Order: sequence, then structure tokens, then C-alpha cells
Amino acid sequence: MAGAIMSNLETGQENHGQGVRTAAIVTRDLAKTFQARRGAVEAVRSISLDVERGSIVGLLGPNGAGKTTTLRMLTTLLPIGRGSAQVAGFDVGREPHQVRTHIGYVSQLGGSDEVLTARENLHLQARLYGIAPMQAASRAQSLINQLELSTYADRAVKTYSGGQRRRLDIALGIIHQPEVLFLDEPSTGLDPQSRANLWEHIRSLGAGGMTIVVTTHYLDEADALCDDVYIIDQGKIVAHGAPAVLKQQIGGTAIVLEWDTPPQASQACELLRSAPFVREAVLNETLLRLYVDNGSEALSALLHRLEQAALAAHSLRLSQPSLDDVFLRTTGRSLREETVEVH
Amino acid sequence: MRTFEEIGLLFGRYARQVLRNPIWLFASLITPILYLALFTPLLRHLGGQTLSAGAALDLFLPGILALVAFGSGVGPGFSLIFDVKAGVVERLRVTPANRFAILIGPILVTMVMMMIFDGILLVVGALFGFHIHPAGLGLLGVLLALLEVTTAAFFSATSLRAKGDINGFAAIANGLNLPVLLLGGVLLPLSLGPVWLQDLGHADPLYYVASAARVLASGNLSSNLVWQAFLVLVPLCAVVLVWATRVLWQIIM
Repeated sequence: MAGAIMSNLETGQENHGQGVRTAAIVTRDLAKTFQARRGAVEAVRSISLDVERGSIVGLLGPNGAGKTTTLRMLTTLLPIGRGSAQVAGFDVGREPHQVRTHIGYVSQLGGSDEVLTARENLHLQARLYGIAPMQAASRAQSLINQLELSTYADRAVKTYSGGQRRRLDIALGIIHQPEVLFLDEPSTGLDPQSRANLWEHIRSLGAGGMTIVVTTHYLDEADALCDDVYIIDQGKIVAHGAPAVLKQQIGGTAIVLEWDTPPQASQACELLRSAPFVREAVLNETLLRLYVDNGSEALSALLHRLEQAALAAHSLRLSQPSLDDVFLRTTGRSLREETVEVH
Repeated sequence: MRTFEEIGLLFGRYARQVLRNPIWLFASLITPILYLALFTPLLRHLGGQTLSAGAALDLFLPGILALVAFGSGVGPGFSLIFDVKAGVVERLRVTPANRFAILIGPILVTMVMMMIFDGILLVVGALFGFHIHPAGLGLLGVLLALLEVTTAAFFSATSLRAKGDINGFAAIANGLNLPVLLLGGVLLPLSLGPVWLQDLGHADPLYYVASAARVLASGNLSSNLVWQAFLVLVPLCAVVLVWATRVLWQIIM
């Protein structure tokens, strides 16, 4: 089953192959191992990316999948372990200075100066990128307008709300009009309204031709924002494609059944796995997910079988395939369950 | 040229931060003032002889100037802890700005602050009888600047290596503070103590500065203590700056 997605990944890369010259990011078998006291930790095992210019690309995966480490290598913050990486046409290892002038990076922490105002932050950032004072001031003003910061542009950043601060962080990341913008978990900690507003801004940057790489562990974020998604788990790419295509490969409908005990679920899995209407079955403790072509037809057939075997499930629901199903199918684990977060 | 511009920009950034938290300025100035006001009187009857207020200050104030130089070097270390946590260091490191500029900008602000503080202390000291020798004090200013930059670069690098852990950094800073100050002979000259203490003092850069500070403040520019202090401080400053820049370049946060 993973094979189907991997072969699709390969053909996807061939398609990109013709446009390597214009690619915004190309990496081959990027890897990073940290030496910790308790031995080596392979944070990134093998990441090969082909990011087209002007696209919004998501790196989706659970916490600890290696997304941030990958981003830190691509932004020159961390020396590359193994493999190669080119960003905006420059080799990250050999030409870090060139890479820095062509990229913007917004870390999870943000990075604005709390004591300074938005305008002062933006002005300094522009000047550090070598933009002349007059132009720096006008760029700062136009970003203040674009990102709806004008009401508080001259207040200290420490007075800002989470959403306002995030918009300033992004403004700081794009003041020098970079070719490639990296956003690390941009919507973490934001309320739903601020998230939607942030996505709107990111989309309009993408529409303006900027290449944007977003890391996220939110399925809806990857789905809503990205033209192309790399699903990453344990430092490796497990699936790659447009969200719609990835979900299509899962096909039809997912039926999610739950029993009281794992043995019941695994018995039911054995029973149903070979049924003609089941395309695929994924078992996770007491939960069984069945991917079927026709939900309603399959439903009556499987209920009948379960009843005969005296294995009636205590709950059952139908769902349209999500990126979580893609993740589940390739890793056997759910992204949703792994990333229960309190907001 | 570009690097100078970047140093200027990052100097401006830090200077604004300092000026918007003036409470820290007062806190930094109050310590040496208290030393002068409450410790100098003890010196007047040291060793059975009685010194005039001016003579006691001549002995004590130069060491306090060195103390201020050392103390103000801890400042950039502390503010870097917060900058690391807020992602500011990371943001600056992603820009093409020169890494040395990122390091030295804030350090130069604290160096200027140190100069102003020491200037205030000299004026206050002079009012109470301290003897001003302009040439000696001018050369001492250079030496104190070297000490301040060295200390600040050392604590900046130490802070970066602590990766935002304020407890770890504070433990190192406080742990070093007292032995360095005592062995430096800042409050009282080590020449008052036994030989083994003076020998230990030679391992402390502050010892050379404090010793040179006393002779320079007395107007003696040709003492061996003066060139010895420069001989220690100039290479030390260079080495620490190179090391701290490398830490900023390579640190994995």
C-alpha cells in the first residue's frame, strides 16, 4: 500500500525534473544526526524536495518528525549533515551568504524585538538586508498596510496580541522581498479567526509569486494552504503530492469502527480485510479504518458480516479521506491522535 | 564599510532597548556608588595609619572603575538569553548581516555605558578629594574598554552556549563573578595579602587591569604594570572575540 504512494512520488519527481533549473528548492537525501549524550539522534534521515518557484509547499508531520531541523538546514542556521540542498539556485553549504539574501525565515518563536515598535523592527530588518533608509521606511509602511498593522505600528511589540505579532513576524520575513519564504508552524497558538486571517495573507503572498514553505502539524492548514504537501515522519518523506491527489489515492470513503478491546478489533480486521469491498484496512488499537469505494453499499455488507461473527462494533462513523488518512496509511499511526494539543 | 554600517544598526537597536529600560541604568550605577560611599571610609584607618579621604579614594576608586568595566560586561550575556528565547538571535542570524557585527553591536553599547559610569564616578570622586591625572586616566580608559569588551564577549558566548537557559547562565556568571573580583584585587590591592594570593591573582586578567589602574590613576604611565596589563589584555580580547564570533556562527539552538 505504501508502494502505491511511493511510486507516485517517483513519477512526481520526474515531472519536476524538466523544471529543475527554475526550482526554488532542490534537496537530495538531506540528513542530520545530532550527537546527544545518550547516543546519536537521527533527526532527519532522508529528505528530497523539489519545490517549484511560486508554489506554496507544506511539510506536514507530527512533532519531532524532523520538519524544523530540515528548515533550519535550508535557512543556513544549521550545518547540513549529509546530502545536498539548493535554495533559490544557491548551494546552502557553500554559499550561505547568497542563500541568506534570497530567503526569509519566520521561526516558531517569531523573533521581533518586544521593546521596539513594529515600525522600528521593520526598519532595522530592512537596513540589515542592505536597503537604504528611505526605501526601508517606505517598505515598512507598505507592509504595515498590507498586513493590517497600521493601528499599532508605533506601539511596542510587547503590547500586541498573538495574531498581530505573527503578522509582524511575517512582515519581518518578507521586507527584503525574498524569493523563498520559510514559515515554521505559522499558526501555532492562534485563535481560529487569526489563523484564517493569517492564511489569507500567506495565500496572497503566494499569489504574488513568492515561493513559500510551511511546516505544520495541522492537517487543515496543509490542506487549505498548500499546492503541494510532503508528509514527513521520523525524518523521512512518506508521501508527496497535491493534497487533492493524495486524498484521491486513498479513494472513496473511510469507515471508522471502534470496539471495546484490541483483540475484538483485530479479529474484525482479519475478518474484513479480505472482503471484496474493502480496498484497505488499517488497525490501530481498538480502532479499525476501512477504505472503501462505495460507503453505503459497503456499510450494509460489513455490518452483516460483523453480526454473523458476533463482533458488532460499539461505534461507527463514515468520513471523507483527509490528509490524516494518507498519513495513517503510510505510517499506521494517526497524525491527529499524536498531536493532541491544548490551545 | 558594510560591516561598520551593520555594527551601527545593531548598536542602535541595543541602545534603544537600554534607554527604554532606564531602571537598569540606575541599578548598574548604584552598586559602584554604594561601594564608594560605604566602603571607602573603612580604608581610611587601614593598617593602623589614617588616610585622608582623597588618599583613600586614590587607592580605592581605580579598582572600582575596573569593577564597573567587568560588571557591565555581564549585561550583553543576560540580554542575549532573552533574545535567544524570543527568536531574535535566530532572526538576525538568518539575515546576511556580518556575524561579528551581531556580536559586537550590543557590546559597544555596554562599553559606552561603562565609560559614562566611570566618568560619573570620577567626577563624584574628585568632589571628595580624588586626584585627577588626565593622561593616566586617558590610557586607563583604553585599558578598561579592552577589559569590558573582553568580558562582554566572553559572557555573550557563554550565554549563547547556555541556549536560553537563564539559570545555567546565571550560575556561571555568578560563580565566576566573586572569585574574579576578589583575585583581581579590585576592592583591596592583593599586595596587602600573602604571596600565594598574589600568585593566584596572576591567573586573573582583572588583576592586571586593577594593578595598572592604580598606577595609571596616580599619573604614572611608565610603570611595568601598565605594559604588562596591555600585554595580557590585547591578545586576550582578540582571542575571546574570535571565539565568541565562532560560537555565534556555529551554535545549534
